[in-house]
Amino acid sequence: MVQAEGMAGRRNRGRSVAAGVVTTIAVGLGLLVSTGAAGAQPQLPPIAPEELVRSVLSAPNPGPFNGTVELQNGLGLPALPELPQAGNGTSTARIWSGGEDRGRVALPTDSGERTLVSDGTTFWAWNSADRTVVRRPIDQAARQEDRPADPTAAATRAIEQLRATSTVAVDGTAEVAGRDAYELVLTPAPTERTLLREVRVAVDAEKRMPLRLTVLSTGSPDPALRVGFTELTFGPQDPALFTFTPPPGATVTDAPARGPQEGPERTTVGDGWDRVVIARRPADATTTPSPDAPDLSSVGSPVSGPWGSGRLITSTVGTAIVTDDGRLAAGAVPEQVVTEALSR
Amino acid sequence: MTRGYAPDRGRSGHDSASTPDPHLTAVDAPPAARARGLRKVFGSTVAVDGVDLDVPSGAVLGMLGPNGSGKTTLIRLLLGLTRPTAGSAELLGMPMPDRAAAVLPRVGALVEGPGFHPFLSGRENLRRVAAAEPLLRTREIPRAVDAALERVGLADAANRPYRGYSLGMKERLGLAGALLLPRRLVVLDEPTNGLDPAGTRDVRAIIAELHADGATVVVSSHLLTEVEATCTHVAVLQSGALIAAGELHTLLDAGTTGLVVSTPDVDLALHTLRGIGAAVYRDEAEPSAVVVPDGPSAPEVVALLVRAGVAVHEARRRRPRLEELFARLTEGTP
Amino acid sequence: MTALDTGVPKAAPFTRLLAAEVRWVLRRPRTLVMLGLFALIPVLIAIGVRVADRQAGPGRGLIGAVAGNGLVLPVAAMTVALGLLLPLAVAMAAADAIAGEAAAGTLRGLLLAPVGRLRLVVVKASGVLVVAAAAVLALAVVGVLAGLLVVGGPPGQLVTLSGSTIGTTEALGRVTLVALWTVGQLAAVGAVALAVSAFTEHPLVVLAAVLGGLIIFGVLGAIPALDWLQPVLLTSGWTAGVDALRDPMPLDGLADATLRALWYLAAGAAVVVLRMLRRDA
Repeated sequence: MVQAEGMAGRRNRGRSVAAGVVTTIAVGLGLLVSTGAAGAQPQLPPIAPEELVRSVLSAPNPGPFNGTVELQNGLGLPALPELPQAGNGTSTARIWSGGEDRGRVALPTDSGERTLVSDGTTFWAWNSADRTVVRRPIDQAARQEDRPADPTAAATRAIEQLRATSTVAVDGTAEVAGRDAYELVLTPAPTERTLLREVRVAVDAEKRMPLRLTVLSTGSPDPALRVGFTELTFGPQDPALFTFTPPPGATVTDAPARGPQEGPERTTVGDGWDRVVIARRPADATTTPSPDAPDLSSVGSPVSGPWGSGRLITSTVGTAIVTDDGRLAAGAVPEQVVTEALSR
Repeated sequence: MTRGYAPDRGRSGHDSASTPDPHLTAVDAPPAARARGLRKVFGSTVAVDGVDLDVPSGAVLGMLGPNGSGKTTLIRLLLGLTRPTAGSAELLGMPMPDRAAAVLPRVGALVEGPGFHPFLSGRENLRRVAAAEPLLRTREIPRAVDAALERVGLADAANRPYRGYSLGMKERLGLAGALLLPRRLVVLDEPTNGLDPAGTRDVRAIIAELHADGATVVVSSHLLTEVEATCTHVAVLQSGALIAAGELHTLLDAGTTGLVVSTPDVDLALHTLRGIGAAVYRDEAEPSAVVVPDGPSAPEVVALLVRAGVAVHEARRRRPRLEELFARLTEGTP
Repeated sequence: MTALDTGVPKAAPFTRLLAAEVRWVLRRPRTLVMLGLFALIPVLIAIGVRVADRQAGPGRGLIGAVAGNGLVLPVAAMTVALGLLLPLAVAMAAADAIAGEAAAGTLRGLLLAPVGRLRLVVVKASGVLVVAAAAVLALAVVGVLAGLLVVGGPPGQLVTLSGSTIGTTEALGRVTLVALWTVGQLAAVGAVALAVSAFTEHPLVVLAAVLGGLIIFGVLGAIPALDWLQPVLLTSGWTAGVDALRDPMPLDGLADATLRALWYLAAGAAVVVLRMLRRDA
């Protein structure tokens, strides 16, 4: 006390700094304590992996819910102007589901929002940045394509496509968005030529609905991609959420319904983990890129081979080649597998 | 060993005091201010070094000392503005700074110059100070402020912004802040800073009024004439230590040696006294007087001069000016 | 021991102290200039949006969202100002409240009156809060007026960022919510600034500390590798006011930021109190 008093009044500058540091540390510790509580692993009855997979694929519609989805992206892709979520980082989306066909997704940014609403018959895409609305009749067959931020759909598709070429296991339990879940792990069979190490799916113990999808690549302990609910509440939703009325001043454009036969022509080479998808863009899409298909002409590095030439885009989980003649080949595989697929 | 009043000597000091109003220094009144072993260290600088001091109730104490001798720090310690490194301080019988809330309403102070906001007028500044005074009722504030402004001669400038005040006006406003209500103790740190002679006279008059009303006044100054003119008691500080303290006239008498003889026959007087070996000299302050320092006793000198035919108009004990006393005290110590 | 203890009020009435402080704060020329500038911000944005509107379509970003949608203006103005100007204004008030008073020698006067040191902290904090509230009020009120009169938009409606339309009453309710939330964030800044102010006699040190803190927090918040720091940084929740423009309105961001602000407020207040109980004057 004597020393502290002795310093007082004469060494204000030094003390200001000290005060700042002390304040910062105090605040920091306080926040860490308040947010550091980790959820314990829930106790659940054991379940066989095959049974869990079957129950996921045959689970009934979970009914109306709302939730928040967080996407943690470690793919190492460049951020695209039209799609900031592609770059590394964390983005969130809010999801409301009214049951079968009706849903709403809000993709907020710091100063705006994209809102996607499906009212059962019409799909609306609102972008606050330029106040545009794209309106499109819903084709039942292509419905899943309209749910870009839904971890449930993505995880279900992944299980469907990968189970045949994977070792499937249940690796304990997890708590996701406050709900008890099984951790389903799909590991590629040794014959699969893939960049991926494993795919983990947290499955809701009660509803058998995937709550979180984690993609891990070889050579990295951190997830390349993790998308999952951080909040989830089941229950009836306000029907007004699943309607959309273009606000005053908005520009509304009508897009044609997108069926499985329309859009890019698509072929696949291989199956399972080392599947490569080759798409040929429609001729008009190269000149006027639609909002759904970002312009890739400026990213990647030049590459050529017997198949032609194009641009190579690599990430921790996959490889893609955009050829100069308008083909796009991509898969969760090394470059060689993609070029082989293109050469066929 | 002139380090303040020893606690037991304090009372006898009061009894023999020649304060104008003896009833003010009642025997059982606690000292208005008291320091015991008071010490304050800033870093490696010892600002106040073991001060023991009693300020008797009703006294006007002049605190003297060169710049940097610790006057202001001692005042701040007494007022509880800073905590002592060691020792204790009391005001009006209560420990400081612990009982500041009970004591300070009765204490008016002007420390380290006036502190006011430049964008407010003198009156607005005083009202802000008055709003914080526990003993002022809200409805009394306008009257108290006006009275204080009147008392320090600022009534005409009350509505001008403080920014435009001269140094002397600022000092007067500071004084007004200390005098917003009747106080039992008024502490003034260098109150005549920046004041013109008329202002200095006004401050003296105010101190005299406070004294007449029975208040204790502690006034620090480096202007010795001012202290000599207004104070009953003196405390002299040097390098943080109290080197002398006591009643003004006692201290001055203690320094008294020799006689001052007023005479028209200065040369004859000098000649006569030098004849008996006295180190006599002409008084610089008074041309028609000679000073007889240590040596022959008063009756002896007067008899000798009268016999020699020197016309002696007056012979009195020599009282040194405070300035001399101060010089002697501060020269003797490092 | 004496009559000192009996029959006298222990301290000046608290409301009187508070009134004197508020009067002092609002009489200070720089406070008035600052409030004037804050009132000007929405007007300038409104004029800028009108001019840009005539030249081209709606621009990107929050300011772009104001075009043809006047009731967004108050929220946009508060959000933009919260980034730098509002914290600096609060820092200035906090700098004057303790460091400035110490520099002017008036802190001593208050302590000698005496004003209890704890009360002094409360009075000073209230003064800072008044400045924060007045600045936000200026932004909100002038923002609503300029939004309705200069920018215009769908009559009596606000188009949310989510593409829905809400009525005037709800829009004004949301503006009020953002205003209150902003004052809460500023209270945290004010508490930290007062803590710095309690340690110095130089008001500029306080301004520099707050400005430096904002810059450091901004840099730390922009480094992806330090993502884990985000929950600790006061500034990382400062865009949450925009959430009031979404439909349905998410409350998580606003609530998180408020909780964070409370931590800073508590830490700042503790430092101010501990320091002011011992500070020399």
